[in-house]
Amino acid sequence: MDMINGILTGLGTALSPINLLMVTVGCFVGTFIGMLPGLGPISAIALMIPITYGFDPATGMILMAGVYYGAIFGGSTSSILINAPGVAGTVATAFDGYPMARSGQAGKALAIAAYSSFSGGTIAAIFLLVAAPSLAVVSLAFQSTDYFALMVLGLTAVAAFAGKGNIIKALVMTVLGLMISTVGTDQTQGVQRFTMGMIDLTDGISFLLLAMATFALSEALMQVLRPKSDADRKREMEAQKNLGSMKLTSEDKREMAPVIGRSSVLGFIIGVLPGAGATIASFLAYGMEQRIAGPIKGKLFGKGSVRGLAAPETANNAACSGSFVPLLTLGIPGSGTTAIMLGALISYGVQPGPRLFVDNPGVFWSVIISMYIGNVVLLILNLPLIPYIARILAIPGTVLIPMILFFSLIGVYFVSFNAFDIQLMVIFAIAAVGLRLLDFPMAPMLLGFILGGMMEENLRRALIINNDSWSFVWERPLTLSILVIAAAILFVPMLMPYISGLLKRRREAAGEGG
Amino acid sequence: MLTNDRIGGLLLLAFSLAYGLLTFDIPLLPFQAQAAFTARTMPEALSVLGIVLSLTMIVKPSNDARPEVAGFLWGRGAIICLVMVIYGLTVRPGGFLISTSLFLIAGILILGERRWWIVLVASVPVVVFFWVLMTQFLGVFIEPWPEFLRG
Repeated sequence: MDMINGILTGLGTALSPINLLMVTVGCFVGTFIGMLPGLGPISAIALMIPITYGFDPATGMILMAGVYYGAIFGGSTSSILINAPGVAGTVATAFDGYPMARSGQAGKALAIAAYSSFSGGTIAAIFLLVAAPSLAVVSLAFQSTDYFALMVLGLTAVAAFAGKGNIIKALVMTVLGLMISTVGTDQTQGVQRFTMGMIDLTDGISFLLLAMATFALSEALMQVLRPKSDADRKREMEAQKNLGSMKLTSEDKREMAPVIGRSSVLGFIIGVLPGAGATIASFLAYGMEQRIAGPIKGKLFGKGSVRGLAAPETANNAACSGSFVPLLTLGIPGSGTTAIMLGALISYGVQPGPRLFVDNPGVFWSVIISMYIGNVVLLILNLPLIPYIARILAIPGTVLIPMILFFSLIGVYFVSFNAFDIQLMVIFAIAAVGLRLLDFPMAPMLLGFILGGMMEENLRRALIINNDSWSFVWERPLTLSILVIAAAILFVPMLMPYISGLLKRRREAAGEGG
Repeated sequence: MLTNDRIGGLLLLAFSLAYGLLTFDIPLLPFQAQAAFTARTMPEALSVLGIVLSLTMIVKPSNDARPEVAGFLWGRGAIICLVMVIYGLTVRPGGFLISTSLFLIAGILILGERRWWIVLVASVPVVVFFWVLMTQFLGVFIEPWPEFLRG
């Protein structure tokens, strides 16, 4: 009954004219920004935050949910049209979307992407409706020790999913984010840390500043340093001119249906896991479908396969919905994008976590409902308008890049009206450019930064409750279990090559002996 | 060999060491000396973790990749950064409209646009539109004029 009331409350909020307008605007703006190579949902949402400060929390979150979906869709569009994914989550989309576009079927590829995204988002929204409240009820029993453990799990999972050879790099970036989060006044004891006597640092570094500097600003700087060639520009102009028909044949639909079903489930589950998210979901779905497709259909993968395009598009959208489960129920973001949304929620004065479900049901339910509305908006408004929206690809970089720089700088300045923030942003952006050139991932740093304060607070509280004893780590089964999972996620991939090498040597030795 | 991992490891080792040294500057009250958790606990743990991880990267890099920076326009990047810093210093005394318009004009010119109508259309009207949007519709007051023109 509570769930039905909640859904009705969410529908009431999400369907109010202002919120419908916001989700529509969000989808459009997100599509525009997501289409720009390099600028993904994190940058898009970060650019929106200053505008939403005066909004009601539900309205602000609804706008951001629209931006999130729009940016993913925009990323798919640039992947398909110019083979330049705006977001990591749409890299797999380019595998088959771009060959399809090159063979004159760009419109069809965009339609497959839109229908798959819509279906994946719809199925995942239903899962979210069921999973989020159930998990929220369970997580009401969580204590600060469990939260501390969950945050450790979230951070280690992000590192572990960073990809082969990148675990240490992701861990280092997580630690860097945690370090930056300690700058400012210590919340409990009131002493200043790492402020070096500067008054501007007394309140710490704002997450918006860090997000804008390390994503939007550093990406724009990268494009200043590495300009596009004339050939690239010509290709972009050509792509947005010739889209072709957007109609799908019944054979296409028959081929897509089972792929969408499987990829939605996979995407949602992957999205719920902290640290995984749209990128991993899209690659796994692509790999799974390639294996299932059999030798004949499997050969079409990478050459414009309908299945190969539908699978990652469905999975990345389902994962986006899934990633809201830990955010809304535990207050723990599972990805860089949800981390920035967590920061936005906190700045609205809303504390995400199990109490959100109880204290702010309007925000909780309206965000869930608006996820679905965002999908509908994308399908019925954005898809027909894609030929026009794609014209953004024709705006010259000489104009676009200064605009991005301006919106990034002014977005942060309008929050604090402190010119020091602009200087600090430039310093962070230069450092981020250096780290990007050295292949260091930025998302773990942002996650570490946002979770740092909460992690320290929960650890401090856990120690006070346990009379300064660390025994809670092994005495409370839930805390211990979560920490064991975190350790396993972190160390198993690191140790796997050694273990498999050892087993291989043993087998060889046994073979020689036998 | 100086690989991506080793360069990054060295930089982050230096950062972690500096961060570790600065933790000693965090003041502690006498009664907190024996507490299990103080304002220094987390920074100390993080600096140790940072040092260990960056040393791991230096000793055992994951691959031999080196930074690919051939063809990068470093001079142009440095000028853009300088323009951003100047914008930060002038946005308050110079007023939003003039300083932001000049920032956009400078940015567009530095990036190579030479058609003046594009330079002007993409700067002044955008800034005025944004100022009207923020002040008239979103209720955020932004000082439009430079100090010497303010009443």
